[in-house]
Amino acid sequence: MADLLAAEDLEKVYGQGETATRALASVSFSLAEGEFASIVGQSGSGKSTLLNLVGLLDTPTSGRVVLGEKDTTGLGRKALARLRGELIGFVFQFHHLLPEFTVAENMLMPLRIAGERIGDEQRDRVGELLDLLDLPGLDGKNANQLSGGQKQRVAIGRALMARPRLILADEPTGNLDTTNTDAVYQLFRDINRELGTAFLIVTHDRAVAEMTDRILEVLDGELVQDVRNDYR
Amino acid sequence: MLALSIAARFLRSSLGQTTLIVAGIGVGIAVQIFVGSLITGLQADLIDSTVGSSPHLTLRPADGETVTAELADDTREEPEVTTAVPIRRMSVIYAADDDSTALNVTAGTADDLDAIYDLEERIVAGSYSLENGEILVGTAFSDDQGIGVGDPLSVLLPDGATGDYTVAGIFDLGAAAPNERFTFLAAGSAADALGLDPEEYSAIEIQLDDVFASTEVAGRLAADDVTVVDWQEENEELLSGLTAQSGSSLMIQAFVLVAVALGIASTLAISAVQKTRQIGILKAMGMTDAAAGRIFLLQALILGVAGVAAGIVLGYLLILGFSFAPVDFSVRPSVTLIAVSASIGIAVAMLSSIIPSRTTSRVDPIEVIQGG
Repeated sequence: MADLLAAEDLEKVYGQGETATRALASVSFSLAEGEFASIVGQSGSGKSTLLNLVGLLDTPTSGRVVLGEKDTTGLGRKALARLRGELIGFVFQFHHLLPEFTVAENMLMPLRIAGERIGDEQRDRVGELLDLLDLPGLDGKNANQLSGGQKQRVAIGRALMARPRLILADEPTGNLDTTNTDAVYQLFRDINRELGTAFLIVTHDRAVAEMTDRILEVLDGELVQDVRNDYR
Repeated sequence: MLALSIAARFLRSSLGQTTLIVAGIGVGIAVQIFVGSLITGLQADLIDSTVGSSPHLTLRPADGETVTAELADDTREEPEVTTAVPIRRMSVIYAADDDSTALNVTAGTADDLDAIYDLEERIVAGSYSLENGEILVGTAFSDDQGIGVGDPLSVLLPDGATGDYTVAGIFDLGAAAPNERFTFLAAGSAADALGLDPEEYSAIEIQLDDVFASTEVAGRLAADDVTVVDWQEENEELLSGLTAQSGSSLMIQAFVLVAVALGIASTLAISAVQKTRQIGILKAMGMTDAAAGRIFLLQALILGVAGVAAGIVLGYLLILGFSFAPVDFSVRPSVTLIAVSASIGIAVAMLSSIIPSRTTSRVDPIEVIQGG
């Protein structure tokens, strides 16, 4: 399958001169459409930096990111923001729902940012996704009125709204209990299978990484392992 | 528009804060409108009582001779001139038992004198009548000398003869000096006393539609054979007082605006900090820096428009309340003043959002996401 994402020789250095810290050094990998992969590593290993770079939230000191066959090198903040909105859905450790808005409004936000008109079709999709997320009928509720697990599921729904080709998840279950964690991964798996969405999940938890098809391990800013996980 | 609906939602989510700042802007704009209207009303009243019922310009013969009624006709050709009437003027002396008073006599037709001095309105006793031999005197003179309506009044004329008149009415021109010294006669009576022909007059008295155009019109009317007397030259102190008053009123209004601007700026700055997380996540979802910055610009616009609307209502209420105050001038809200205050208010609101708006546009989504 064609590459959805290619990271080539990525390097990220924070600071300058003597205080410069290298967070990432010559990391290269690619991700195909519909892949279900994870990045594993200790805290401070550079895995979140890597996710931010491939998610176009940050720009590399050197190297390049090709996303959806588009070389992102040298793109301005505006163009990066647009590409991010088109291709990527984010799920973070913290749900980051907007407390001022309802569940449905939160989920529709990526579409509205992309400038899409909100009509019956889009509202129906909110309903379908809420059913898929096992949150039926919650669309009119204020985001603040949900439990932690429900909020994270709404955040996943929001990431799926714009039909992204890639979901980047940074410790998506870091704040959830075991039951909710299993439910979220099962959900990721279902989405991956049913919608063909690629997943790249950052986690420090090896057990969580073992649930994915491919494990990329980052250690001290370097990619030290890239293995198929056939033991699931 | 997304930025607008987010701006509105942010404002609604902190309703207490929003209400306070709208009230703050409202009070500021209300003070603007009220102080502006008060000063305008007060000054209009002062000017009206100074020159509303007296000539704005007077044309006098330069050589001490006379002018003709034709000059009044010519003067009326000037676009700013609303009234130009020929009058005769003389000083007479009223001698009581052991005391004598100099009186300024202005003589003309009843209609002409009314046009300049608004005399018919100002008669407080007797009637506005200037038949031959009838004279109008002021309230102060009437009180001082104990002379009432229907009483005879004998004065010493400029040529040394005695003029005998009957008091037809008593006027109140609103100031002590004219009420004591001014008298009005029929044109014909003065012509006899001054030995003038029917075509000869002592001066032309003029009123203009805009009293402050007097200096400009005076310049145009000046000629070799006439001297122009301008009310503005004769009332310099009053005018400089009015200028100072306008200046201090502008200063008050400017400081009120500064206070309003600081209020909005600090509220928006706090809001920008409170909403950093939301802005970061919106940016992670693809919102551009410019759109994120616009949220705060639009919040300022909403606050400005709501505050200005509240201020106009409150300003009207203040003016309405003031109409019950025991003062003898009225405060009228001017549409221009309200429009100017409203535009400045909204502009100030928008300006004070520049800093929070720029801060917001610089929010880095990564910091927010990782900070939780």
